[in-house]
Amino acid sequence: MKRPVRLEPGQKLVLTANRLLDGRTVWWCADGTWDLHIGRAALLDADEAEAVLARVVAEAQRDGVVGVYDTAVQAAVPPEPVTVREKIRAHGPTVHPEFAVETEQ
Amino acid sequence: MSIPVGHYQYDRIDRDFLQARIAEFEGQVQRRLDGTLSEDEFKPLRLMNGLYLQLHAYMLRVAIPYGILDSRQLRKLGEIARRYDRDYGHFTTRQNIQFNWIRLEDTPAILRELAEVDMHAIQTSGNCIRNVTADEYAGAAADELVDPRVHAEILRQWSTLHPEFTFLPRKFKIAISGSPNDRVAARFHDIGILARPGEDGAPVFRIFVGGGLGRTPVIGEELFDSVREEHLLATLEAILRVYNAHGRRDNIYKARIKILVQAIGVDAYREAVEAELVQMDLERYRLMPEAVAAIRSRFAVPLLEAPADADAVLAQQRRDDPLFDRWVRSNTHVHRDPGHIIATISLKPAGGIPGDATSAQIVRLADLADAYSFGEIRITHLQNVVLGHVRKDRLRDLWLGLAEVGLAEANIGLIGDIVACPGLDYCALANARSIPIAQKLGARFADTALQAEIGALRINISGCINACGHHHAGHIGLLGVDKRGEEFFQLTVGGRAENGAAIGTILGAALPEDETVDAIARLVDCYLGRRESGETFLDTLTRLGHEPFREAAYETV
Repeated sequence: MKRPVRLEPGQKLVLTANRLLDGRTVWWCADGTWDLHIGRAALLDADEAEAVLARVVAEAQRDGVVGVYDTAVQAAVPPEPVTVREKIRAHGPTVHPEFAVETEQ
Repeated sequence: MSIPVGHYQYDRIDRDFLQARIAEFEGQVQRRLDGTLSEDEFKPLRLMNGLYLQLHAYMLRVAIPYGILDSRQLRKLGEIARRYDRDYGHFTTRQNIQFNWIRLEDTPAILRELAEVDMHAIQTSGNCIRNVTADEYAGAAADELVDPRVHAEILRQWSTLHPEFTFLPRKFKIAISGSPNDRVAARFHDIGILARPGEDGAPVFRIFVGGGLGRTPVIGEELFDSVREEHLLATLEAILRVYNAHGRRDNIYKARIKILVQAIGVDAYREAVEAELVQMDLERYRLMPEAVAAIRSRFAVPLLEAPADADAVLAQQRRDDPLFDRWVRSNTHVHRDPGHIIATISLKPAGGIPGDATSAQIVRLADLADAYSFGEIRITHLQNVVLGHVRKDRLRDLWLGLAEVGLAEANIGLIGDIVACPGLDYCALANARSIPIAQKLGARFADTALQAEIGALRINISGCINACGHHHAGHIGLLGVDKRGEEFFQLTVGGRAENGAAIGTILGAALPEDETVDAIARLVDCYLGRRESGETFLDTLTRLGHEPFREAAYETV
């Protein structure tokens, strides 16, 4: 059973996965697409995230993604992940600034 | 095509097997893409072909059996880095190379390109016998007693697709050396093998079992002192059978052979192996001299000819050029032939990423290997590159060629020669980043004269308890930990993987990332201030004990 999500004030949830074809980190958008940029991710409240996550997981193969899960972010513009791991997934390896996701279209 | 120096020459059977394996994997990839296979079903299949899914992309780990490549193979790796990755590769602590930005759909094509040069990604993942590692100076070092490569190749052939050992309780790592100076970390492997000549001249093998790092670091214990060559495979088979039968499959953290050996004791383990040997058909596993000779014949022997004044030329060049002399002091090793020398090429530029090389550097290394070392290259478990047979009078030309591509760092075995796993910048298992702290330390101790003054001091960094950066075995070890979302580093001192293997001792509470480099600098200052003449860091640590170093590390905390 999925553990209950506890969000601090000012935090929301986003859904993330890796693309099946190339493994790239992607974020779920409100229009049902997946995007490389966390800035386009849909921000979800904890109580709605569970249902959305279940639906998105069920559609993962069709959407070409693997390993869907939710993670907490600070609900800023753009949203910023709470953990170091998710920050690195969102922005790219810190040791290669030339690979920053922000530089990609 | 001539037989390569340094590694086994594939034949048609080897190549047919690789093609069949690639075709099989190509079908699996297709079925994954069309949804016939779920990710849960596909994951173990891709891992059997070296393909991981990491934080940002797929990672392909390519096997380099016993760490030895020829120049066309290395050139191919450079081409793959350029064409399919982001123009670089990462050499690992198990003598392999990994590419961090691979597309699933490209993988069959990459494997076909690798197969063109007799390479693959098998045995680089999964609960099988992993790629066998060997002494990076094999067949070259003056201190070597037995060239371990032929037996490493025999172990490769024995272990590849071994039907009993494809689904072991956990991964299984074997290292082999033929030198009295352990350069393979034999005591930190599931099986460590040290070969030496027996009384009749045929090799005998001292076998350690149950070593390992990870969350439960253990120094391997001697199982047998003198296994005869003819019984080598039977003995290994029996060791693996006992592990396969009794190793724990209920708990991934207790599944390695080291846990089993610790649980029942090495004597009981030996008895179990001997009991297994009694009921085995030993003839089936007998390693006959003709079979060994047949494998040996598939290795080309370098024709080591050098001018009579090669040694004198090198000596003069060293006198004339202090920078070159410094590089020779740190980056070379004595060759068995007096006219030749072993050159270790550092992949640890100051402030750089340990083990990374660009495609241009990789291709240049292949060119230099052709020019200076019979087209043969070795990858070390310390993430460097070795050219094993360089004529002494041509060493300076090699050094100049290396400098043109930023590979002439004089720091082998010194504080700048940092071992680091990819850490949280790439790895899905990591808790903290390893590379940035390695870069900061490399920059802090960038001065090669200072490094030479400090002397032998190895820093190993792991981004999680799985210890791919071998932090337990570092003279100074760093383990990255996550504390409520912040990166901290736990310091250990006194580890060593060479002769007299030891597990580092934790100095105290983990330090915040931004205090760690200063703490290590104080450790080094403590050593420099208190060492006696001729002492290395480990010598001083042994003489003084840990307390002065602990006080130095935590001085301002």
